[in-house]
Amino acid sequence: MLNKYKAVVAWHARRIQDTSPPAKRRKVSAPTCDTCNATLSRPFVCLSCSFAGCWQSGHVTSHLHETGHSFCVDTRSGSVFCADCDDFICDGTIDAAHLSTVLLIEEQMTRFQVAKRPREPYQPWVPSESEAALLKESTVLPCQGRRGLLNLGQTCFLNVILQCFIHNPLLRNYFLGDRHNTRLCKHTDCTCCEMDSLFSEVYSSNQTPFGPTSFLATTWKVSAEMSGYSQQDAHEFFITALNQIHGTCRGSTNISCNCIIHQTFAGQLQSDVTCERCGNTTSTVDPMLDISLELRGKGGEVGGGENTLAGCLRRFTKPEKLGPKEYSCSKCTKAHEAVKRLSIRKLPPVLSFQFKRFEHKTTSKAVPQKIDTPVRFPATLNMAPYTTLAMNHAGKDGDVSTYPGPEGMYEYDLFAVINHEGQMDNGHYTNFARFRDEWYRFDDDRVTPSNLGACLNSNAYMCFYVKRHLDYKPYMKPTYRVTRDNDIVREMEQEKLKEMARQKEVDDALMATIAGD
Amino acid sequence: MSKPTSTLDTDDLYAQLHRRMIESGEWDRIRRLMSSKLSEHGWVDEMRHRAKERARSMDTLSFRVLLEEISLPARDGVPVVVKRDVMNVIGQYVKGQFEK
Repeated sequence: MLNKYKAVVAWHARRIQDTSPPAKRRKVSAPTCDTCNATLSRPFVCLSCSFAGCWQSGHVTSHLHETGHSFCVDTRSGSVFCADCDDFICDGTIDAAHLSTVLLIEEQMTRFQVAKRPREPYQPWVPSESEAALLKESTVLPCQGRRGLLNLGQTCFLNVILQCFIHNPLLRNYFLGDRHNTRLCKHTDCTCCEMDSLFSEVYSSNQTPFGPTSFLATTWKVSAEMSGYSQQDAHEFFITALNQIHGTCRGSTNISCNCIIHQTFAGQLQSDVTCERCGNTTSTVDPMLDISLELRGKGGEVGGGENTLAGCLRRFTKPEKLGPKEYSCSKCTKAHEAVKRLSIRKLPPVLSFQFKRFEHKTTSKAVPQKIDTPVRFPATLNMAPYTTLAMNHAGKDGDVSTYPGPEGMYEYDLFAVINHEGQMDNGHYTNFARFRDEWYRFDDDRVTPSNLGACLNSNAYMCFYVKRHLDYKPYMKPTYRVTRDNDIVREMEQEKLKEMARQKEVDDALMATIAGD
Repeated sequence: MSKPTSTLDTDDLYAQLHRRMIESGEWDRIRRLMSSKLSEHGWVDEMRHRAKERARSMDTLSFRVLLEEISLPARDGVPVVVKRDVMNVIGQYVKGQFEK
């Protein structure tokens, strides 16, 4: 029955991946209800026989009762309905089968690859015999990581960013996986070590609020501009922390870095400038760690009726006219009017958004203003319309609803939100973060259970989204391991040289005593 | 397609249109469009939140009860502008089918 379930899930997964425009696409015969013959837009399939039917009119449930068959499945969601319980059921095996099947189909159907290779299939970890034995003997600790952080004096900006790191699944897995062990690290003032210590504290059995004093001290030592007791900007600290962690990560490089920060946050932004006269387009690709979104439209108004994250992203990727003084075309070598358009060329596993709420007015001497207008953001986000690929595929009317590749590669889930209340230099930061399906509110040392509604209704300053399904590169030795192996080889050679030098001393001494006779 | 002359014809016509829509992939396209509009207006998250909190307070979880309780607020909660836009798209498709 599990095999039939997988086959049904796979059938649906394949069908929905085909996002080609209706004109080009082949007609596919759709299943019809075995009771009433209506075409099924959302088939429910019996797991014991070949019956397919409607849910709304109760045809599929009638079938189950009449035949005594136990289960049927909703093809769209993969949810299984049990006739005996008269309800949908929840089961770990089914969930696992659903995920692995959907992932497999997505991997098979990903058409575009830079290196023209098929996608690397995901392989779940299976413990070896020795690993299984070790696991049996180990103590299991709860893994929720909800620990308040003490405010050390206007350090709420630090606390909210740390909470967003703690609840970041990729960072969490890296540090809990002991990838940067403080005891083995040779750096001083190492922010990466601070992260490791932070995770150890948060996941320890001590759940009373903890003061991140050494994290703060290290940050000050490394970036002097962040020191002092005044309120800092959380986003500025975010970028500083990312750079510090990257810098102290073993094996990090300045170009195409593969450290945990870049693996998690790094994407690519493409800027296309098209000359209005000759149509020549110059493209530049820049790395990005996060996206900062303007809240003011061209006319200086806020939002313009579109106070949503999607609206901000549309504004971000909207073609912008460049005046003739700003651009000269390389092809027709004249200063012309041009159109510049930004798009996302590569989506990172974790997307961080900042809403530019703080304006630094350079014209007047007035205190920088804060834009407090709330922006609506979703719990799940599809980034396809803002990618270079989809935008290049768009029809004449800018319809970005057809694009290559499985939806799963563009879908993101919200996991943390940072809020700021008050004015720029006199305010307070708090944040929401999600563990699995539950939301919590963090206010320095006070952590309280919350819900999705409260989070989405809050006034967001920064939002963090994580990709629903990750894509993998074929196995390569991690850079930190390569560096470590090189270090070991170097140390061994040095040892050898030392040994040879020592031996030579002994020999010389011996020669001296013999010659001295 | 010719214009319907009786209720039986209308039902038959509906079934045909429905089938064509699904088989050509237009149904899925419009559904994706509607989904993204509803999501942007916060309708999806609002319903998800409502259902979750209702489920949390239920002594015995039941899908049928949840579905029944949420159906009315879900229908009423659809933003007017989304309804209008999607109905327009559907209307255009249907019109196009008759013109062929």
